[in-house]
Amino acid sequence: MIENSLSHALRAATNDVLERMFFIECLSELPEFVPEPVVVARLTFDGDPAGELELKISASAARSVSADFLGTDQADISEQEIYDVVCELANMICGSVLSRVESTATFRLSTPRIMDSTRDIANLSEVVASASAPFPEVGDSVVQAVELGSGRLVVSMHTETPKWPLVPR
Amino acid sequence: MAYRVLIVDDSPAMRSFVRRVMLLSGFELSECFEAGDGSEALHLLRREWVDAILTDINMPGVDGEEFLRLLAADDVLRSIPAIVISTDATHNRISRLMALGARGYITKPFVPETLRAELEATLGVPL
Repeated sequence: MIENSLSHALRAATNDVLERMFFIECLSELPEFVPEPVVVARLTFDGDPAGELELKISASAARSVSADFLGTDQADISEQEIYDVVCELANMICGSVLSRVESTATFRLSTPRIMDSTRDIANLSEVVASASAPFPEVGDSVVQAVELGSGRLVVSMHTETPKWPLVPR
Repeated sequence: MAYRVLIVDDSPAMRSFVRRVMLLSGFELSECFEAGDGSEALHLLRREWVDAILTDINMPGVDGEEFLRLLAADDVLRSIPAIVISTDATHNRISRLMALGARGYITKPFVPETLRAELEATLGVPL
């Protein structure tokens, strides 16, 4: 199978971050995201390439991975701690992807932010996957969706540059 | 011998994670301090001595690069070894931070053994 190098880097970075920092193994890749309660984090990056990354994670998975990351019980985690961990997850995946595709460039990541529509985690059942704005049509966009056991994680990345070189998968 | 370490990161979750990983890795930690940016870290270092600093780069306020510059310019604090923990693994960034005085560089994601090895190498802990 052939895929572009950005897609390859996103897949590798997502798996690497989850395994090393959250001690989680991705169970399988998913073809698409099924609308369900999610927490959405987004950040932009400057440099070559410039662009943005969006991370959507099931509310159940967000709580579970936060507990793994902080080494505490799920019941003891606050909403703010969940948001902090989800933002850190987005930050690590984005930095890891960019370091893989542009090892000689310099880039700068913005501080990840939780999308306003997911602020109130108590009402997450009312939030759907389309909580955030779509990426621009110009440039390159890739998506990585995985099943974590406790829920789903979808990472979408958009760069302003055109298609990346193709690499064997 | 157990060591006193300062973690500088704007993410409370990341600070908590780093502290936990140090303990999990078996690193001998006697006391751990935390700061949300370089300014807060410098303020803390005026009253608490530490053996090593673990610092992020992208932080609001005084970021990691500026923090390293300020450390290097301080006659007393410059002797404390600082290790950068960052998602940025690009050659340019690593070279620049090492030139600014960083003694080590850990790229996120990392495993506990990497953190311990980098700390012990920087502190000169015998194997």
